[in-house]
Amino acid sequence: MKEMEKSPSRGKLPKWKEEELEEVEYEPRSIKDILIEMKNISELIVDLAYSSLLFDNKELAEEVKYLEARMDTLNYEIRLIAMMAARNKRDAERLTAILQIAEAAETISDAAGDIVDIISLKLDHPILPRLIRESDEAIKKLVVSDKSKACNKSIAELRVASETGVRIITIRRGKKWIYAPKKDEKLRAGDIVIGVGPKEGLDKFNAFLEGKTEGL
Amino acid sequence: MSEEEAEKMLLDLKEKAELMVDLAYSSLIYNNKELAEEVYELEEHIDKLNDELQKLAIEDAKKGELNLNEALAIIKLATSTEMIADAARDIADVQLREIELHPILKESLLETDEIFLRVTISPNSILKNKKLGELHLASETGMWVIAIKRGDKWIYDPGKDVCLKENDVVFVKGNKEGKEHFLALAEGREKEL
Repeated sequence: MKEMEKSPSRGKLPKWKEEELEEVEYEPRSIKDILIEMKNISELIVDLAYSSLLFDNKELAEEVKYLEARMDTLNYEIRLIAMMAARNKRDAERLTAILQIAEAAETISDAAGDIVDIISLKLDHPILPRLIRESDEAIKKLVVSDKSKACNKSIAELRVASETGVRIITIRRGKKWIYAPKKDEKLRAGDIVIGVGPKEGLDKFNAFLEGKTEGL
Repeated sequence: MSEEEAEKMLLDLKEKAELMVDLAYSSLIYNNKELAEEVYELEEHIDKLNDELQKLAIEDAKKGELNLNEALAIIKLATSTEMIADAARDIADVQLREIELHPILKESLLETDEIFLRVTISPNSILKNKKLGELHLASETGMWVIAIKRGDKWIYDPGKDVCLKENDVVFVKGNKEGKEHFLALAEGREKEL
């Protein structure tokens, strides 16, 4: 994992493990913000989990684990805030609906976590070797190096789609996730980008993000 | 189970699980009980499908066509998909219960750029009897069809050769901007792509 080599201070734990162990600090965020994040994660994580299985991709599996741990934290936070927000019975009733959705979103992410665990079953061959062989599409986790010319350029400026055929599904920036990033979103050093596209295009994009090539 | 069958199965489960999550949130966003009921139906369908899949895995393991780990992988996958389906049903359940929705809920759910629509193809629509491949909906409207419900039958992730028919219930996803155009086309108010 490239991002870990760059930051030795993070220690040897995988990132998702760290998220899991991290003590939950109470930072006042609105229920709305948390719920939006939970909804987004629950939608993204299903796609990522099955994809990691289909493409037998351990890096994606790790991303799923990370999101799953993040979801745990969010579900805890939203419960905490909801309890503090309820002033009367009507409030409490309306908030239970929100908590029910939050709980369901967490269940979805748990299920996604279970799906990627299947990869670690010692299968003689991946469940779907055919798909991996025949499809020229792949999905890949890429890291934007600080040496890359992509830093501080928007997806539109870089013409990622037209130059490489790669579609960026999501960008992770520290603890923040940007889902289905817009064209004017700028890439920054350290961003983790998940892209889907032709293998050649992904390799080209990867070399550029790693700073090995000057342009796309 | 042949490799080909396994591949089809996995893709099928992926599509259904994603569709259910989409439908469930959409039922809340559009305050739509019909959609929520659709989620319930789909959940029952997935339950059945998963039962069959698990039996198949056990049978194949018995016959020696799958080794134990492979069979276990399929069983686990079915179980997880069922869990996702159940969770989606729980989300839709919020819509079906007679509890007044918290304003925060709607606000949160609406704050996404991607939208989801459920439209019935009208007899007057120019979309009917045309193949998806010739319509180029994605480039023309920014919306793409993720599923079609024709009577009791579902077509998930329809290919280019699928024809839209009168009274098809079409589930589409896409950018906010494309919504009005697509609706007008499906309802027969707009005659040009």
